[in-house]
Amino acid sequence: MSTSGRIALVVAALAVAVAAFLIARPGDDEDSKPAAETAPAQTEAQTETETAAEAAPPPRPEVTRIRIEGGQVAGGPKTIEAQQGDTVRIVVSSDAPDELHLHGYDITREAGPGRPARFRFKANAEGAFELESHTAEDAGNDPLVARLLIGPS
Amino acid sequence: MTFLAHAGGLLGRSDLPIPEWLFGWAAAMVLVISFVALAVLWPEPKLERDSWRPLPGAIGRLLASRPVEILCGAIGVALLAVVVYTGLRGTQSPAANFAPTFVFVIFWLGLVPLSVLFGDVFRAFNPWRAIGRAVGWVAGKAARSGLPAPLAYPERLGHWPAAAGLFAFVALELVRSNGDKPETVAIAALVYSALTFIAMALYGVETWIARGEAFSVYFNLFSRIAPFETRGRVVGLRRPLAGLAALKAGAGTVPLLAVMIGSVTFDGASEAPIWTGIAPDIARFFEDVGLSPQAAFELTFLLGLTAAILLVYGFYRLGAVGAKSVGGGFSAEQLSRAFAHSLVPIALAYVAAHYFTYLLFRGQAIVFLASDPLGDGSNLFGTSTSQIDYSLIGATATWYWQVGFVVAGHVAGLTLAHDRALALYDDAKLAVRSQYWMLAVMVGFTSLALWLLSQANT
Repeated sequence: MSTSGRIALVVAALAVAVAAFLIARPGDDEDSKPAAETAPAQTEAQTETETAAEAAPPPRPEVTRIRIEGGQVAGGPKTIEAQQGDTVRIVVSSDAPDELHLHGYDITREAGPGRPARFRFKANAEGAFELESHTAEDAGNDPLVARLLIGPS
Repeated sequence: MTFLAHAGGLLGRSDLPIPEWLFGWAAAMVLVISFVALAVLWPEPKLERDSWRPLPGAIGRLLASRPVEILCGAIGVALLAVVVYTGLRGTQSPAANFAPTFVFVIFWLGLVPLSVLFGDVFRAFNPWRAIGRAVGWVAGKAARSGLPAPLAYPERLGHWPAAAGLFAFVALELVRSNGDKPETVAIAALVYSALTFIAMALYGVETWIARGEAFSVYFNLFSRIAPFETRGRVVGLRRPLAGLAALKAGAGTVPLLAVMIGSVTFDGASEAPIWTGIAPDIARFFEDVGLSPQAAFELTFLLGLTAAILLVYGFYRLGAVGAKSVGGGFSAEQLSRAFAHSLVPIALAYVAAHYFTYLLFRGQAIVFLASDPLGDGSNLFGTSTSQIDYSLIGATATWYWQVGFVVAGHVAGLTLAHDRALALYDDAKLAVRSQYWMLAVMVGFTSLALWLLSQANT
C-alpha cells in the first residue's frame, strides 16, 4: 500500500471512530430537552399553587432508610444512586450502638437503639463511595452498609 | 481495590462502571484499529534497530553522574528507613500511617507513570541497589585479596524470582486480611530486604537487580516504553517502545507478565458480581472444612488471584500455540518468549485504567501523612490538616481516560508484535498469518480490560 493510501485509511478510520462516538454518546441535547420543556410547566404549576395561597414546599430529597439488626444489614448492603449536585439523605437505624462512616465524604455518625444516624449532604464528588459500620469492622465482619454511586449530572 | 477498602481503608472513592455505550464503542474501535493497523503498519522492522543517542550537552552526563547517583540512592535508603520506622512505631490504623500509603500508592503506583515517561527512575532510587553497591565497595576495600566472584546466575531461573516476588507482593495487597496494616508492611519490607541482600551477595548486585529483584524488574519493564535510557554514565534518547524490543525474554518472563496482568484482572473482577457472587460460597466451604473465617477468606482470595493469573497465562500461551501452527519452525515456547514484550503495554493499560483515580486521590494523602507520618498529631511541614479533594476529576473524564489508556495499550502492543513478527519470519506471508493469532490475544486482553471497567462496583 502506498503512503498516501495508508494516510487515507487512517484518516477514514479516525472519521469512523469520531462519528461512531458522537452517535453512541448520549447527547447533551437529549438530556437537557426534557428539562427545558418541563421547566416552564413547573413554574406554571408553582404560580397556580401560589395563587391558591399555598406555598409549594421545595421537593424534599428522597430518604434511604437502612436497618441494622444483630450486626447485619436487613436485606443486605444497599446501593444508593444519585446524581452529582443532588442532596442525599440516608437514615441508618441500629438495634445496637454503632458508628457509621461514609468514605470519601468523610462523614461519621453515631447510631443506637432509638437514635438513628442521619446523613444529609450535597453530592459534590462523583464516583462510588462506601458507607461502613465501624462496629462490624472491629468485630471482623463485612462492614459494608451501603454503596453510594454518584453519577454525572 | 475493594479489599483494601474493607480492610479498613486506604480507599475513599472508587470508580463508577463505564457506561454501556462507551464500552460498545471502545470494543468496536479496538477491532477497527486492529485491522487498520495490519494494513498500514510498516513493512520492515523498525523498533529492533538501535536508535539510542546521548542527550545533547552536558545534561545527559550530569543526570547519570556519580554524585547524582549517590544522592538518589541515599534518598531511597532514607525512604525505606522511614517506611520501616513509621510502620513499626506509628499508629496501626492503615490510613493514618505513612507506611501503607507510601508503599502501596506512591511507590507501587506512582513509580509506574514516572518510569513510562522518564525511564528507569527506580534504578537510581533503589535502596537495595544503593546499599548493595556501598557494601560491595567497602568490602572490596577492606578485603586484601579482593572479593570472591559472585556465582553464575542460572539461566533457567530467569525472571522466576521476580515473578515470585511480585506474586508475594500482590498477595499481601489483595489477599492478606491485614496486608495494609503498618506493622505488616514494615516487617514485609524488612524480610524482603534481607532476602534481597542474600541474593545480591550470591549473584552480584547488578545481576540480581536486572533479573531477580521484583520491583527493579517490574519498573524496568515499564521504563522500556520511555524514550530515555541510561548507558554507562550517560542518559540518552531512543525511540519510544524501542527498549521493549531490546528486552531479552527468558525463563519466567511470560509468567511474570501473567502475574502483572492477572493480579489487576483479579483486583478488578473482585469488585464485580462475577466474584462477589461466588466468593462467599467458596469461603463458606472452607469454613465448613474447619478453617477460621479469616483463613477461609484469605484462601478464597488466594485461589481467585491464582486462577486469574493462570487464565491470563493460558490465554497467551494459546495464542503462541496458534502462531506456531502457521509454520516457520518455531516452538510454542520460542514464540511465547518472542512476543512477551508486546504484553508490557497491555499490562500498563491494565494498571493505568484500574489504578489511575486511586493514585490521583489516595496519592494526595501523602501531603498530610508526610507531616504526620506516625499518626500522633505532629505537623512537621505544616501540611497535616490538608485533605483529599475527591472532586478533582469527574466520572465522565475518568471514563474517557480509562478507555484511552486501554486503547493506547492495545495499539502499542500490536505495534510491538507486528515489528517482532517482521523480524522473526523471513517469509512476509508467515509474519502476517502469525500476527492474526497475536492480534486475537491482544483483542482478548483488551476486551477483558474494557469489560472489567464496565463491571467496576456494580
